[in-house]
This record gives sequence, C-alpha cells and structure tokens, in this order.
Amino acid sequence: MRYVGRRLVIYAVTLWAAISLNFFLPRMLPGDPASILIAKMSRNGDVTEAQLESIRRLFGNPEASLWQQYLDYWEQLFSGDLGTSVSFYPTPVTELIGSALPWSIGLVGVATIISFTIGIGAGMFTGWKRGTWVDHVVPSTTLLQSLPYFWVAMVLIYFFSVQNQWFPIIGGYNVFMFNGPEWSWEFVGSVLYHAILPAITIVISSVGGWLLGMRNMMVSTMGEDYVTTAEAKGLKKRRIMTTYAARNAMLPSIAGFGVALGFVVGGFVVMETVFSYPGIGKLMITAVRANDYALMQGVFLVITLTVLVAMFITDMIYGLIDPRARQNV
Amino acid sequence: MIRTMGRKRVVAAASMVAGLSLIVAGCSDSEGGDDEMSADPTTSADSTAGAAAGEGVATDRELVVWAGAQTPLNQTFNPFVPEVQHLALGGVYESLFYYNKAGSGEPLPLLGESFEWNADGTQLTITIREGVTWNDGEAFTTDDVIYAFTNDIAAPDYIASAEATDDTTVILSFDEPQYTNELSLLGLTWMIPEHVWANLDEDPLSFPNIEPVGTGPYTIASISDANYTGVANPDYWGGEPNLTNVRYIGIDGNQSAEDLLRTGQIDWVGMFVPEPQGMEDAGLGYINTPQDPTVLYTCSNADLGCEGDQTDVAVRQALNLAIDRSAIKDKAFVGLTGTASPTFALLGRDDQWISPDVSAESPQSPEIEEAQAILEEAGYTADADGFYGKDGEAIEMSLTSVDGWTDYNNAAQLIQEQAAEAGIKVTASTVSWNEFADGRTNGDFELIMGGVIGTSVPDPFQIYKDWFGGDATTPAGTALEPGDWNFSRYSNETVDEQIQVAASTIDEATKIAAYATIQEEITRDLPYIPIVINATQTFYNQTDYTGWPTEDNLYAFPPAWASGGAGVVLSNLGGTE
Repeated sequence: MRYVGRRLVIYAVTLWAAISLNFFLPRMLPGDPASILIAKMSRNGDVTEAQLESIRRLFGNPEASLWQQYLDYWEQLFSGDLGTSVSFYPTPVTELIGSALPWSIGLVGVATIISFTIGIGAGMFTGWKRGTWVDHVVPSTTLLQSLPYFWVAMVLIYFFSVQNQWFPIIGGYNVFMFNGPEWSWEFVGSVLYHAILPAITIVISSVGGWLLGMRNMMVSTMGEDYVTTAEAKGLKKRRIMTTYAARNAMLPSIAGFGVALGFVVGGFVVMETVFSYPGIGKLMITAVRANDYALMQGVFLVITLTVLVAMFITDMIYGLIDPRARQNV
Repeated sequence: MIRTMGRKRVVAAASMVAGLSLIVAGCSDSEGGDDEMSADPTTSADSTAGAAAGEGVATDRELVVWAGAQTPLNQTFNPFVPEVQHLALGGVYESLFYYNKAGSGEPLPLLGESFEWNADGTQLTITIREGVTWNDGEAFTTDDVIYAFTNDIAAPDYIASAEATDDTTVILSFDEPQYTNELSLLGLTWMIPEHVWANLDEDPLSFPNIEPVGTGPYTIASISDANYTGVANPDYWGGEPNLTNVRYIGIDGNQSAEDLLRTGQIDWVGMFVPEPQGMEDAGLGYINTPQDPTVLYTCSNADLGCEGDQTDVAVRQALNLAIDRSAIKDKAFVGLTGTASPTFALLGRDDQWISPDVSAESPQSPEIEEAQAILEEAGYTADADGFYGKDGEAIEMSLTSVDGWTDYNNAAQLIQEQAAEAGIKVTASTVSWNEFADGRTNGDFELIMGGVIGTSVPDPFQIYKDWFGGDATTPAGTALEPGDWNFSRYSNETVDEQIQVAASTIDEATKIAAYATIQEEITRDLPYIPIVINATQTFYNQTDYTGWPTEDNLYAFPPAWASGGAGVVLSNLGGTE
C-alpha cells in the first residue's frame, strides 16, 4: 500500500506540472485564438462589436492577469470545459476529443496490444531456440520495424485495396454506406473490416522492436543460475521457458509497454492520415496547422493524462510481477 | 499526406478563400450494394415527364464527391462561417446569378431573372424569379432578398438601402458606384430565408444549421464527421434534378482520393494528378482549366521599405527576360500549366481587355542578351564570373518557396539556374509555410514563388485593385489588412488613378482605355513576375453520369471544390442510358 501511495503522490505532482505547462506554453506563442477567429470571420464580412464581445468571452479575457487566467483555467478543467475550437468553431473541444478518442484507443490500442503479444511470444521462442535457424527471423523483423508507417500503409493499400480490392482505402467505417456511427451489427462489422489494414500496418511496423528486446533478454536470462538450477531439477522445458526465463525477461518490455500505450493516443498521426481514419492524431495536426490553441491544449492534456495513467497501470503491474520493485521505492 | 498541387498552393497563398483545402473527389458507391445505377426505364420516364433540368436520365445511383474536405468534417451548413460544407453554397443556398469563372458569357440567372445598373453605378435594379419556394414550403419573396442584403450578420456596409418596388423587383442603392462589386452582390450573396434567420435564438455565427432551408436543387439528408448526403429537391424551381442522391466524403490525402477514383469509388474530384493520362485510360473524364497565375512576388518598392536588389526595376525586367518559362512548365509543372500574361488577364477568356500596345504573353524562352542590355543600360557591369553588379556589389537576391510544394521548389531551382545564365545571382531556398506567410504579409522578403488568385469574372480588374493598388498595401514591416493582397508594396499613382476610373464605369471603351494604361505600367514595373498559370484538374465519372462541364460546353467552372458551382453542375447531371 505504501508503494501505491508514494507512486500516487509522484503522479499527482507530475500531473500538476504537465497541466501548468500545457497552460503556459501556448500563451508564450505569438498570436491568440480570439484574434485568429476574428481575422477568419472578417474575411466573410464585417465583424460587429457584439460578436467581438462574445468571442472575447468565449476565449477568455486577455486583459485579465496571467494568474487570474491560470485560476480560471483550473476551474474550467474541473468543470470539464476545455474551451471552444477555432478550426471547428463553434464545436467544444471536449466534443471533438470525445468523438475521436474511442477510434484512437480502439484501433491503435488493440493493435499495440496485439503487436506486444506477438512480439513477446515470438521473442520468447526465438530466444529459447537461440543458435538455431530461428535466429535468421530476427533481422527481418527489425528491417520491417525500420520501414516508415506511411510507406507500409501505402504499399498495403496499393496491393490489397487498389490492385486487389479486398480492403477499403479510407475511413473508420464504410463512409459510402453509413451516414455516421450507429449501433448495428452491420456497422460493427464494417468497423472491424476497416480496422484490418491500419492494424496490420501498426503491427508490422512495431512488432520487430518487441521481438528483438524480448529475445535478447531471454538469451541473457537463460544464462542465469536459477535457470540452470531449474533444468537440473528436471522441470519440464516448457515450464522453464515460461515461468523461469520469460517471466524475468519480460520485465523491461513491460516497462516499455506502458510508455508505448501512452503514445497510442497521440501517435500514429501519419497512419490516421493515410487511411483518413478518425482519431486524435488528426485533431492534433489540424490544431497545429490552424493555430487552434484550445484544441491543441485539449489534445495535449488528453495525451498527458493517458501517458500518466498508462504508466501508473504498468507501475502497478510491475510491482505485482517483480516483488523487488515494491521494496526499492 | 497531401501532395503539393497548384491550386492548393494558391489558396494557401491566399490562405483563405474557401476555408477547406482544395482537392476533391467525386464518386460512386461501389460498396453500398443497393446503390446499383438505375438504368431502370421507369425512372427515366419519370424524369422526362418532370421537365428535368439536366441531361441524361434520372438515376438514384449515389454520386460521391470529394470537395477537398478533410476529416473530421466541420458539421455546419451555416453560409456565414468559413468552414461551411461545400454543398450548402450553390446546392442548398443559391445566389441570384451564377458567374462562370471558366467562361466569358453572361451570368446564369438563378434566383434573379435580370439586373440593371443605373447610369452612375449607384443603383442596381434586380428582377427576381417568381414562384420559387424554400424547401420548407414557404414562398421566396423580395423580403428574403432584402434580408440577405441588409441583415446584421454579414451584409456589406456599402449598401445604403434595399427596397422592393413590387413583388419581383428589388432596388439596391449605394453612395458610390459599385460596378466592381457586381460579383459579390449578385454571385456571392446567398439568399437565406428571413423567416428562419431573423428569429434565431442563438448567435447566427455559431448556428450549425444542420437542416438548412434553401431554394437550391438539393436538401441535406444527414451529416457526420466523415460524410454528408444530399437528396434532390422535388420542388426545385428548375425541375427536380435527375441525380437524386449525392454524397460528400472527407479524405485526408490526395493519394487516397486518387486510389478511390481509380477503383471507381468516387465520381467527382478536382485535384492535382501529375499524370492525368493514367486516369483517362481508366475511363475517367478529365478536364484541365488553368486559372490562377503563379508568379514571383518581388518586394518592389524601396519607398515603402523594401530592401534588396529587386527594388530596382531594371533588375526585375532583366530577371523577367532571363526566365525560361517553357522549361519551367515542362520540368517543374509536368507540362500541365497555361501561358501567363504579364497583363494578368486570363488568356483566351479575357483577351478583349488586353491592350494592343503590350505583349499579351510573357516571353516563353529566355532572352539573355536583352536582359543583359537592360542591366548594362542601368549601370550594372559584369564581373569576372559573369555576374552583374553595381559599384562593386554583385546583384544577389534570395528566392524562397514553401518547403514541400515540390513543383514550386523545382521551379525556384530552375529560375536560379536560368538567372545565373544571364548573370543574375538568385539563391533559391525553402521555408516553412509560416515563414512564407509572415514574410509575404510583412514585406520581409526579396523574391517569393507564390500564387495570385485568378478572378471569378472574365475581367482582370480584381487583380489590379487587390494586388497592384496602392490602397491594398502597407509599408514593409506592417502586416497587410485581411483581404488585401498587394504583397509587393507596389504603389503607382497612375495605376491607382486608372483603377478608380475603371471602378466607376461600366462603359467598355473607358475600361479598356484605363486597363491599357494600367497594363503599360505594370508590364514595365513587374512587381509580380508572371511565370505560368496553374493547372486546375478535374476528374469525373463519365461512365455512369452525363452532363459534366467539358471543353466544348464549359457551362460552369468544373472542379468539385469550386465554391458556389455545386448546384449548377449537379442539377445538370444525369445517369447515362
């Protein structure tokens, strides 16, 4: 329990620092969202005084002191208000993020878990079979890892969507058939079908890293005395491989997995663009392109929170798997 | 990711125009199983009976369009916000007339039937179409027209009054001649129903208007963050369109749009494809209608704070002659661009406005000797390496283009080499879009590869006023006002005077005389050095649909992203037999 408590304190401090940075960084950049929106609207005609006033109210009063704005920002955060997007005016940022987040977590999250599982499993196996023909598999997966996401995605689209029209080219669901997300088996089927190519892209591009890391740890763990002891005891090979060698070899990968999960939300921006897949990475691009500070802040906040939560969870799991971690806090 | 393409650049250059980016796709629904195209004889019989406006037969095969929107779509059909979805303007809301950017004919009457200016341009009398209803059943009246011109939301402030003299006549009065605003008054002012907009509970600018009430050929059926659909308006004044269903989708990259086109999943797109032949081979219709000039912006006016050798007119003239435009067209723009005119009139469309005293086309091959003669006459001498300079200082200019706009980057590189041939040192480099936009608007640059927005009417006036007018600029170091485009800081009293003359007349001879003076000044001073006219490519499904704008019948500006033309093109389409 003390372990959990200490971790919680550290995370609370990190969270506070991250949110404060999130507040101050955009304010150091030139320009402000209100004037960007006003400039945008004045292209379509004159902006009246009443509109100016309502825009100022929407985007916070720039004449208030920074400290006051900072307090207001916290107040807004606690009431779940992330402001209004300029590039999708007048949609609230929470709504934009709310509709993008499930797609990112669903696709990239699941793909990362699949990639991790395959990588760890295959790494365990190749490590166990070190020095045999299986070793030749390792360089090829590392090669795949070095290919850029978008390139893999475009090659897959070319062969499986254009040359052979087996898979769709764009979308998170069939945009030619459904007029928006709905609850039906057909829609769910469509979502799964549309997730196949993007998921394969992610798995192909990331599995090599897990495999290599796991294999190397596996090889070094198998040189440990306790493995030799286990063998001497006459335990089954399978049991030695999984319970003795793999459990220990996995520790660094688990730590890495927490970080990887955190990047799920923000990462894969390119993949989402190539497949026109709805997701949070694309919101981030849009926000940066349009200097949409409210949206940027919202997206960064979500990413920060996700990374922290993912790391917290892995910390907890780590504590469970490795008793030493609980002692050395 | 988005590949660079001419149009995108101009808009980016213009950085607004249609808040959306500019690529488009149209197309069919190869996956939505029930959307078989209907060659059904009963439906076609219906359409002929219904005095349909368009060509071909009625079809319920869904036409899929990409108008350049990226996902997630901004879910709004509010005609007053920059991110309004494409079908709203022209498809649901109509203007009084449609001005065809691609042709030189008369404007096409939509909700208006005719219009007339008074002698001094301070009164515009508009006759509106009778018997038109909004798609909620209410009648379209002169009150709606007056509301569209006088509402508090976005009506222009130069309209002094708007009143109806009878049931079909509206008279707009102005304090000053407003001939030059004819396009924005008649072609870009969207008729909105007063009974909806005057009684809104919310701020009209944040009203998403998901079920827009308009008079156009389509109504909106649904919208999500990935697509939206429209269905034909059965009570459309022009007759129910043959094309019943239309779907707009959001696509994030040109490559995806190209793939969807090739596999027959979208039917109408305007976007840059370097090798259009491949698309034609795949059975798609293709048309290229170059519109927007690509130029070298020069910060030309030392009096307004520009710095660098390009402030000397002799250097600009020499550079203009040194450029090998045909090589640039072939090597950087894969041969798809049109020929630029130093008068900024669009060749072929605006020929009547080009003065006989200036050359209509920019030189297509380099004239190095003439270029060097101009430099020598202006007191420059060549150094040992052949580079020209004055008082021991060689001419040296930086030429920037936005990183990633590969055709512009290549063109800049070619210009560097070509200028060097003539002994002018130009150094090409790439910058980020933000640096480009900042430098341009603040006058902090020497030479930039950039775009000029082509005019929407067959008349170069708008370019003269917005890009060459002294009123449209500010001293270097001060950002331009939104809506002003005179990045070169060019300011010439003769030009300004003639712009005023042209603005206050409708008499062609007077305008031609005024333009001749302007053209003489600007072809000599060259604050923008014309390079080429950007390609504007459109691809469309000609297998299942007929009635598209073609070279022979260019009744509308064809690309799917073109703002305002959606209704005109869509209601003219029909299924093939």
